[in-house]
Amino acid sequence: MRSVVALAVLELRRFLADRLNLFFVLVLPMVLVVVLGLQSGGGGGTAQVALSGDAGTVAALEAELATIDLDTSRHAEAATVEELVSVGTADVGIVVRSAEPLQLDLVVADEQTAAGLGQLVRSAADRVTVARAQEDVLTGAGLSPEQAAAALDGAPDGWSAAGVEVGGTDPVMEEFAAMGRFEIGAGGQLLLFVFLNTLTAASAMINARRSGAIRRTMAAPITSTQAVAGLALGRFVIAVFQGAYIMVASSLLFDVRWGDLGAVLTVLALFGLVAAGVALVIGVVVDSDGLASGIGVGGGLILAALGGCMVPLEFFPEGLRTVAMATPHGWAYEALAEIQRRGGGVLDVLPQLGVLAAMAAAVLLAGGWLLRRSLGRAM
Amino acid sequence: MTTSTPAPASTPVLSSTPVLEAVDLVRRFGPVTAVDHVSLRIEPGQTFGLLGPNGAGKTTTISMICGLLSPDGGSVHVAGVPMAQEPLAAKRRLGLVPQDLAVYPEISARQNLTFFGRLQGLHGAELRTRVGEVLELVGLSDRAKEPSKKFSGGMKRRLNIGIGLLHHPDLLVLDEPTVGVDPQSRNAILESVEALAGQGMAVLYTTHYMEEAQRLCDRVAIVDDGRVQAEGTQDELIELTGGVDTIVLSGGGDVAAAEVSLRGIPVVQKVARDGNHLRLVVQNAPTAVAGVVRTVSDAGMNLSDVVIQRPDLESVFLHLTGKALRD
Ligand SMILES: Nc1ncnc2c1ncn2[C@@H]1O[C@H](COP(=O)(O)OP(=O)(O)O)[C@@H](O)[C@H]1O
Ligand SMILES: [Mg+2]
Repeated sequence: MRSVVALAVLELRRFLADRLNLFFVLVLPMVLVVVLGLQSGGGGGTAQVALSGDAGTVAALEAELATIDLDTSRHAEAATVEELVSVGTADVGIVVRSAEPLQLDLVVADEQTAAGLGQLVRSAADRVTVARAQEDVLTGAGLSPEQAAAALDGAPDGWSAAGVEVGGTDPVMEEFAAMGRFEIGAGGQLLLFVFLNTLTAASAMINARRSGAIRRTMAAPITSTQAVAGLALGRFVIAVFQGAYIMVASSLLFDVRWGDLGAVLTVLALFGLVAAGVALVIGVVVDSDGLASGIGVGGGLILAALGGCMVPLEFFPEGLRTVAMATPHGWAYEALAEIQRRGGGVLDVLPQLGVLAAMAAAVLLAGGWLLRRSLGRAM
Repeated sequence: MTTSTPAPASTPVLSSTPVLEAVDLVRRFGPVTAVDHVSLRIEPGQTFGLLGPNGAGKTTTISMICGLLSPDGGSVHVAGVPMAQEPLAAKRRLGLVPQDLAVYPEISARQNLTFFGRLQGLHGAELRTRVGEVLELVGLSDRAKEPSKKFSGGMKRRLNIGIGLLHHPDLLVLDEPTVGVDPQSRNAILESVEALAGQGMAVLYTTHYMEEAQRLCDRVAIVDDGRVQAEGTQDELIELTGGVDTIVLSGGGDVAAAEVSLRGIPVVQKVARDGNHLRLVVQNAPTAVAGVVRTVSDAGMNLSDVVIQRPDLESVFLHLTGKALRD
């Protein structure tokens, strides 16, 4: 056990000795948090919808949006709405081009919003359209607008529900609506970042192999299991520290809600172990640290993209979702989604934790075996 | 992990276990047989040299001795402990100083020593004391806190050796510890090895420098092509050459006539001419030299220089393999 701790402490020391690593651990996550926080309109929490156009229609839209907990703001010019969305102060804009017949433009900044929040706003707009159409039908049948409105208000909820279905509000959308824009991406970003940073351990391993320090370490009375445990423990501490740091900073500064802290940290810990194992495997198989960095960054980004850290997993087509579940990111993402959005605890994410633990065990075992083999290989 | 204790201390000194017994070690890398049935036996207190050119198989042999590489054949016992069955106990008795500068450059000399000391099972006050002693021994006390990447080559080499000594191993294994260092540091390293040997530590020293083996080692194994070509004390090895010396004569005048005359005297076994130099192989140079000088002078050669070369490990190597050590 002493040897394992000694190795872990060594890994930490080596990591901290490099100023660049400190930048990656302490500074870059802050930059990331701030940038993402600003994107969310500075407030985190609720999404902002900017509206402009015909006052009556805007009021109707505001009422609809309020029912799904979105904040709204009114603006005189369509251009203002577009600008607010483009600078990120508003998450979505709605411009009422014409009230009769109802014609709306939806303004979104990016694909991700268009898919999530945009969908939600669109369905709110659809509800307004349907209500308007119903009113038209009733007034057309001879009722006064007041009578028509009263009749519609008096109608049972289920009656207008058919119209709501058109917009296709689904539980995922509801979840996303309840989150700030940063929160939607935060889980994925956290995973992407922790994994990428942990993979830098591969280069450290290669340097230690080249200098012969690993040979000497392995010539000491330790088993390769102890060696792997020590190396992984060091990296694991870094990964968890990094993740926790991002979580604390983002929740203090931007009110990002992460959910059950114990559960999130457990996911992060197992995910960090997988990353440490992958780094070890790369570090003992690849002999050039340039190549290892390339594989680390390239592979880290690809895995993150496949695992739902860039575009949320929920928007993946069926086939790609299967691929996603071959990545540790996919499982960790699902676990974080459960914890962060649906208030899940450790027990709710046991399957995901199990898969992550199995992945960690597999890569670490492979790493240990490859480490032993690497001692007999010329570099 | 349990530690097995070595042979009891009551064992009589005369029949003491060798600190190293390697028998018939074989290691192949694909088609290359890097080590081909190598056997070594080192007694307590001995300084044992493994002398051979680059690629002879020295590092591979050492890797098997230190448990870094599993042999394709043969066995290793360190102070009686079998490496294959009890690797941790066997490794504990060894101190390895690898050929590369096997230190972690990002951390300080003290941190390196502390780390490797921990791996060797040292801790607490004992660890601190040993680290202090070794820093003193290798002359790095005043630079102990600097990252070792800032050290000169010689300082790194000294730290490299210091780490191997931390836990008072029964056998210190040094793999070409002087490669790439300046002559001054080299001398310092050789002196420290001599000092350690003087204190009774057994040393396995590999080198391709004949002079180092000659200066340090009680026994030498000459290796080439993965095989031990000869093994023994330096005198025993030199015996193998048949005890012949070389005399080199330089000068002007009738060198050709001198060569012819030399072929006529019985003590001279071989004569080779290289311009104005004559190289003779003789049975015993100190007694033969007077007759040789008289003969060449009579033949009309004006001698400017006479050099007598006693056989050394280089000649042994040449004799055994037909190659120079450094080529
Ligand atoms: N890991 C390896 N893979 C393939 N060949 C190797 C490896 N290590 C050593 N060799 C080969 O084995 C032979 C002995 O090498 P080595 O033990 O390093 O010699 P030395 O230390 O005496 O210079 C050489 O021919 C070398 O190329
Ligand atoms: Mg070598």
